[in-house]
Amino acid sequence: MVVRTKGARCRNRAIFIRKFPKQKGNMAASNPTSRPNLDAITDDDFEYVDEEFGSSYSPDQVQPQPEPMIPDLFKQPPLVKDDLITDTSRLQDQTVDHCLPFLAGEDGPLELNDYGLPRLNREKHVKFLKQSLGPLPGRFVAMDASRPWFLYWCLSGLTMMGENVSSYRESVIATARTMQNESGGFGGGHGQLSHLATTYSVILAIALVGGEDAYDVIDRKGMWKWLCTLKQPDGGFQVCMGGEEDIRGAYIAAVIITLLDLPLDLTPESPAYDGGRSNLLTGIAEYVRSCQTFEGGISSQPNNEAHGAYAFCALACLALLDNPRRVIPSYLDVPRLVSWLSYRQYAPEGGFSGRTNKLVDGCYSHWVGGCFPLLEACLGSSGSGSKEKNRTATGLAAAPETLYSREGLIRYILTCCQDQTKRGGLRDKPYKMSDAYHTNYVLSGLSSAQHQWDLDSDPLPLSEGETTPTMAALGADSIWNVFPYIDDNDQIYEDSDRVRPIHPAYAIPQKNVAGIKAYFQGRSGFA
Amino acid sequence: MPPKNKVATKPKATESAPATITTTTTNPTTTTSTSQPASQPSEPTTVLERSQHRYEQTRPFEAARRQHGLSKLSKEDQKGWICDQLLHLTDRLPAASRSRLLGPKASKEIWWTINGTNSIVRGLKYKHKSEPHTTWGTDRDGHDVGSYSIERFDERTKKRIALTALQVSSRVFRENVEREKRGYVDARSGQEVIVTEREIDEEKVRRSKMAALKKELYGEITGKLASSVEWEDVVPIPHEEPEGALAAIAYPAEYAEAMSYLRAVMSKKEYSPRCLRLTEHIIAMNAAHYTVWLYRAANIFALGLSIPEEIEWLNEVALANLKNYQIWHHRHLLVEHYYPTIASDPTALAQFAKQERDFLIAILSEDTKNYHVWSYRSWLVGKLGMWEDEEELKSIETLIDEDVRNNSAWSHRFFLVFSNPKYATPGKGATERDEKVTQELVDREVKYAQEKTYLAPQNQSPWNYMRGVLVKGGQQLASVQGFVEEFVVKLGEGEEEEEVRSTHALDLLAEIYAEKGENEKADLCLRRLAEKWDRIRGGYWEWRRKCLTKSAKVVEEETEKVEAVAVA
Repeated sequence: MVVRTKGARCRNRAIFIRKFPKQKGNMAASNPTSRPNLDAITDDDFEYVDEEFGSSYSPDQVQPQPEPMIPDLFKQPPLVKDDLITDTSRLQDQTVDHCLPFLAGEDGPLELNDYGLPRLNREKHVKFLKQSLGPLPGRFVAMDASRPWFLYWCLSGLTMMGENVSSYRESVIATARTMQNESGGFGGGHGQLSHLATTYSVILAIALVGGEDAYDVIDRKGMWKWLCTLKQPDGGFQVCMGGEEDIRGAYIAAVIITLLDLPLDLTPESPAYDGGRSNLLTGIAEYVRSCQTFEGGISSQPNNEAHGAYAFCALACLALLDNPRRVIPSYLDVPRLVSWLSYRQYAPEGGFSGRTNKLVDGCYSHWVGGCFPLLEACLGSSGSGSKEKNRTATGLAAAPETLYSREGLIRYILTCCQDQTKRGGLRDKPYKMSDAYHTNYVLSGLSSAQHQWDLDSDPLPLSEGETTPTMAALGADSIWNVFPYIDDNDQIYEDSDRVRPIHPAYAIPQKNVAGIKAYFQGRSGFA
Repeated sequence: MPPKNKVATKPKATESAPATITTTTTNPTTTTSTSQPASQPSEPTTVLERSQHRYEQTRPFEAARRQHGLSKLSKEDQKGWICDQLLHLTDRLPAASRSRLLGPKASKEIWWTINGTNSIVRGLKYKHKSEPHTTWGTDRDGHDVGSYSIERFDERTKKRIALTALQVSSRVFRENVEREKRGYVDARSGQEVIVTEREIDEEKVRRSKMAALKKELYGEITGKLASSVEWEDVVPIPHEEPEGALAAIAYPAEYAEAMSYLRAVMSKKEYSPRCLRLTEHIIAMNAAHYTVWLYRAANIFALGLSIPEEIEWLNEVALANLKNYQIWHHRHLLVEHYYPTIASDPTALAQFAKQERDFLIAILSEDTKNYHVWSYRSWLVGKLGMWEDEEELKSIETLIDEDVRNNSAWSHRFFLVFSNPKYATPGKGATERDEKVTQELVDREVKYAQEKTYLAPQNQSPWNYMRGVLVKGGQQLASVQGFVEEFVVKLGEGEEEEEVRSTHALDLLAEIYAEKGENEKADLCLRRLAEKWDRIRGGYWEWRRKCLTKSAKVVEEETEKVEAVAVA
């Protein structure tokens, strides 16, 4: 797994902040005497600054307050708006009203940069996540079946903010042990049934703390047997024995199978067992396809409404099955999906909503925002491995540098999603409480907005006679390269506010994916 | 300090302090029969004070030494003190070793002195200040019982006695239950032991009394289950977790208790009415507990309980927990189970469908876009075959009339109309054409969407719907060009002239032009979206523009190829 930066150009572009922010679009006239944010200028260009401003800048002189560079797009209600008022529009208008002061930097005495943005309040968010790791008071009893999620959300959020979480290894091991069932898989806690969602979060938490002791907690054989019992004849997975079958199940199964390198054979106990013709991955992509809706988005189960969280599950699942450049267009209507995903972004808020005519919510920064790296890979926009760069498997144009407004999302996250009180943490939207779930997924969204992913491998050739891949988890080993995303205009946030990148499909850093995979790889038996 | 001379005390004794405790060394008993006036000026008010008081009364020499120091005591008192000490030091030893330790002569002298002073042989032990609590222990609030007033302490003692009495009776009852189970025959009466209803009722009362007393005395909360006769035979499995486990929750006692009983019955795969009640108890505290819900369903099926009754109960729970989705999977399981019993009876089926719809309408009026409710609803339509049910479509139209932006309702309509197995081709993707869909149906749906579009042209739901319908019916997007153009006026004819009433119209117009090969017009639409009307999606519009040139290139290449072939 290669992680590299694009060399000098990148580094420079990432650090340098334009001294006089370039005027954008039909932005309000900026104050010509606005002075640069000196804090943001590094030593490297200090002399430069002296030269430019030495004559005009004097600390004693009273300087007019610089007008922050906030494009009108994020300061005004949308241009086209209907008069008809319904419940939906009422809520939408209220949300815009709530967000606008935050977007305009008028919500409090926060220190803002030239672009009108506050800093990422790392210290408070780190403290918030550490507190969320417990012990938790009694009112959290409603989360009793979701405790493994807290492990993943907190450790993942901390990791993205640059914290070293390996010190939690022992406690993750101890906690995970009580959640594992003898019949395979992890439940929400002692005496709770194994569930794919809780298993997913425990495994990712284990991968995040890393180390053989931690990996060894997982009963791989039990896991395989249990997964077999969840596999359904239509290709999907139930989330637990007797539980619902939905697209989360398909995504999580793909994550578990590829991270633990499980054998694909089905046990005779599996509801999908057909004498050895089908395996754990058979029909899974078809199941994903059946969840695409007429709107182009993806629903939890066939015939439901398109929803952002399931779009991520669908794309990430497919990306683990085969090279996204081939598998995504083979199973999904890409133009409709791109359209639907693009429409999830709202202005002036800048954030994403989860469904048509629903409100923005910080967590979709990941669920929807996290779809774009996978889509961009599918559209082969930046594939250095591909010779024919402009030609994609879909016959569609290569994606431009970015399909959505990264600026909009970053603005929403930094202004609206941060709880600036003592509490810290990130949230759905202003006036909502921060929580571990939103803190993690808002940071994941921020991470994907700040980075660019490049799929460095071409699809492996299909075997003879195949039109679509046979689902052998070929995509799980796709080589992804990551670079800091460099805006052609200006970088609106401080470079130190860049959080760490995470794997587009596994949602944890590549290093951790590589660590757990290396440990389990080739253990096809259960020694 | 007024000395509180009670009995035959010598007034001087108090006055002459601190030199000696007893003026008459020959008879220090006088001191013991009185309170130590110097150190105990008043009646003890607390239990602790009383025991101190008693200590001093039983150990006059020691008390005096503590107060004045050994050297200040008279010779006789010193001797008395030494004897007292020796006596108490050796007190715990068996008589034989005692005599060996001191020798018969010394023992004799000690006893002689003791007897002479009339000292109390069984003195109390002293409580050291450093000890956090007296031997009285702490109460429910962690307070030292020693600090209680005498009256309060007596009260407490009474309660403890009452508790002990109850516990004894309760043990007798439990033994009888055990005996009854084993078919034990009472030796005296020669009859099998039978626990009567009355006895059970008495025990119930007893247990609630015991629980109340325990709570009052020790702050110990006896869970409802532990004190319940019904759960007598179950050994709960407490929550096991190592110290320092992550995201550990400080469970409320009631929840922790219920969960420990749940673990116990689940591990034994018990299915019984009491288990059902237990699941209800837990669900009331944590409705998001998937394990409990699945176990509840298993109980209902194993016991063959009435599904309609369960659904009725579930309705209440669902209304109280709008955001919960386990409830909806539970309902799904119930209906799966119930369906075969009514499948062959069209009336029953129709009635059940109506009931379900009524409830769904009620809950959706509280939360119109609840994802789990809508998911359940679409599944139910398929399960009960409600495709042709006019009421279903009507109730969706009502919701759309109430809020034309309710996209969940639009989605359900699409499903209802285009997934009807009567004509829909199975396995067709939602964004694929289905040849079996009639023109009539397409026209009806397009018309519906257009009517709703006029209400609020920037509302995306009917636009997405209409586009979906056209694709399903395999119809050209251009067939609605006239309608779409109503919302876009004088595009590209200058900032002042240009008017866009719906960005979705402009988007669709771009597609229509592209479909017709009018790429320049399409490009203009996309450019205007990116430049002015929908700037947030600038990157997307740019990509769409690239796709235009691309498809044009592909067309060109293909034409060239065809021409080349033709030429060859």
